[in-house]
Amino acid sequence: MHPSLRVCSARAHQPLIRFLGKRTYPSTPSTPHAHPAAPAELKKRFEELFSTSEASGSAPVASSGSKVVFAEFWEAPERFWKRDIEDSEIDAILSGGASLY
Amino acid sequence: MLSLQRIAQKTAGRRLRQASLQASRWQRGLATATEPYDVVVIGGGPGGYVAAIKAAQLGLRTACVEKRGSLGGTCLNVGCIPSKAMLNNSHIYHQTQHDLKRRGIDVSGVSLNLPTMLEAKDNAVTGLTKGIEFLFKQNKVDYIKGAASFVSPTKVSVELLDGGKTEVETKNFVIATGSEVTPFPGGAIPIDETQIVSSTGALELQKVPEKLVVIGGGIIGLEMGSVWSRLGAEVTVVEFLGAIGGAGIDEEVAKQFQRLLTKQGIKFKLNTKVLSAEKKDGKVFLKAEAAKGGKEESLEADVVLVAIGRRPYVEGLNIEAVGVELDNKGRIIIDDQFNTSVKNIKCIGDVTFGPMLAHKAEEEGIAAAEFLKTGHGHVNYNAIPSVVYTHPEVSWVGKTEQELKAAGVEYSVGKFNFSANSRAKTNLDTDGFVKIIAEKETDKILGVHIIGPNAGEMIAEGVLAIEYGASSEDIARTSHAHPTLSEAFKEAAMAAFSKPIHM
Repeated sequence: MHPSLRVCSARAHQPLIRFLGKRTYPSTPSTPHAHPAAPAELKKRFEELFSTSEASGSAPVASSGSKVVFAEFWEAPERFWKRDIEDSEIDAILSGGASLY
Repeated sequence: MLSLQRIAQKTAGRRLRQASLQASRWQRGLATATEPYDVVVIGGGPGGYVAAIKAAQLGLRTACVEKRGSLGGTCLNVGCIPSKAMLNNSHIYHQTQHDLKRRGIDVSGVSLNLPTMLEAKDNAVTGLTKGIEFLFKQNKVDYIKGAASFVSPTKVSVELLDGGKTEVETKNFVIATGSEVTPFPGGAIPIDETQIVSSTGALELQKVPEKLVVIGGGIIGLEMGSVWSRLGAEVTVVEFLGAIGGAGIDEEVAKQFQRLLTKQGIKFKLNTKVLSAEKKDGKVFLKAEAAKGGKEESLEADVVLVAIGRRPYVEGLNIEAVGVELDNKGRIIIDDQFNTSVKNIKCIGDVTFGPMLAHKAEEEGIAAAEFLKTGHGHVNYNAIPSVVYTHPEVSWVGKTEQELKAAGVEYSVGKFNFSANSRAKTNLDTDGFVKIIAEKETDKILGVHIIGPNAGEMIAEGVLAIEYGASSEDIARTSHAHPTLSEAFKEAAMAAFSKPIHM
């Protein structure tokens, strides 16, 4: 919905609300800016505060190089993580394989 | 028979194994941690618990660390929720005593049962806090009861409430530790929560004080002052500034608000500075003087409520150790994606910038979780409503006339009094008005200010209008059911756009 212009009073009113359909997120994360409610002085210092520090977006993002080395396993894609053990597998271990038969 | 026994044994064994698996899964993030969480939220208040649930809904493995022992934070435990229970029930009591007669209802033998009223409040709180625990279970959020302290940017040590200590590792943190009552400057009036109370103690008074002095004429002071005034206390509100209602209230609304509360018996001392308090013979004697300096005066009270504001709470969090920066007001510095100065640590709610409101923290909680998952989120700080739950209620969203004047924005104002609204008339509840401020050139709604019955619910329409960028004409041309209080909102929009019909 957008503000209507009061150009003339005798006309059919048409609310300007637009239906955009289901929203999707852009593929690239948005760029951080100063917080809108931050004091003016801190807004001015935003670059200094956030560029020199370690601040950035959150989830670890692998570099685009061909060889990616992850210091911790959880930084790697989830398919490399330890998978959950299923009940049948536990039963198999506990029963020495008997539960499979 | 034997085979039945075997099945039973097998089932029992399986249940035992499942239980032990579940237990180890619960402890995955605790002492025997082998895998980190995707996100750990520190603080289980309205910002924290909402962030945790949203993160879990988005598929992130989530835990929430809370040291109070119950979820919901200040709001649910000692703030918005218990105060609303007391406001509602004290209003019913007061109305029964003073308002029913003119409505043709004669009642006698009305008396206050304060213990039961306090119990009703406690029951509401318990029900809601338990409800969040249920939501955590439903959404698979691990709830860790304890006090977190940063060890590194990806690890906290937690002093568990039931004894012991553990460490929790995660890829991302969201700090949502909230705020605490601001003590009186210089420690001149120490809070003992019996005679000199904060809002927490004001919800627990075991008898109605004869005289209550409220230091601070903001939202909390006025709500708690109203509660005890309705229950029979003689209430005096001392405010340093020249108006009541706190930051963001429209001047015209503030004046009307003060008039109506004065009519209800609450006394006001504006532009007055409290200097000190002395406890003597079961009373508290306050020394005060004009804010700009002047003759000292003494105020006597049975109970004093210190309601001068709240401050960010980071005690015991050890954020200094990991380099999270604070501003000079003790707020954690963040950008518009809630990132702190340390990578992978976000922060939301009262402990950072913006108004200290539960619903603002909730919006931030959802946005922070979305930023973690998608890199995008949304909070419109211009569309965060404020509500004072007195009677009449007061609410507002967007800009005040004073702010627009200062910014040099040309605007038009549409106002409609509840005295001209049919539903307000039938309810014998006609104090107040709706005021809509629209940009002169475009008619876009810039601010909505309401004082009157149901203002707290009605402001939602104003918030939606501002969020959607609606014009006053859009509202004016929208049908509102008759007879409802909401027609006053439509008429105010008509007044801003052209002319109201019923005034």
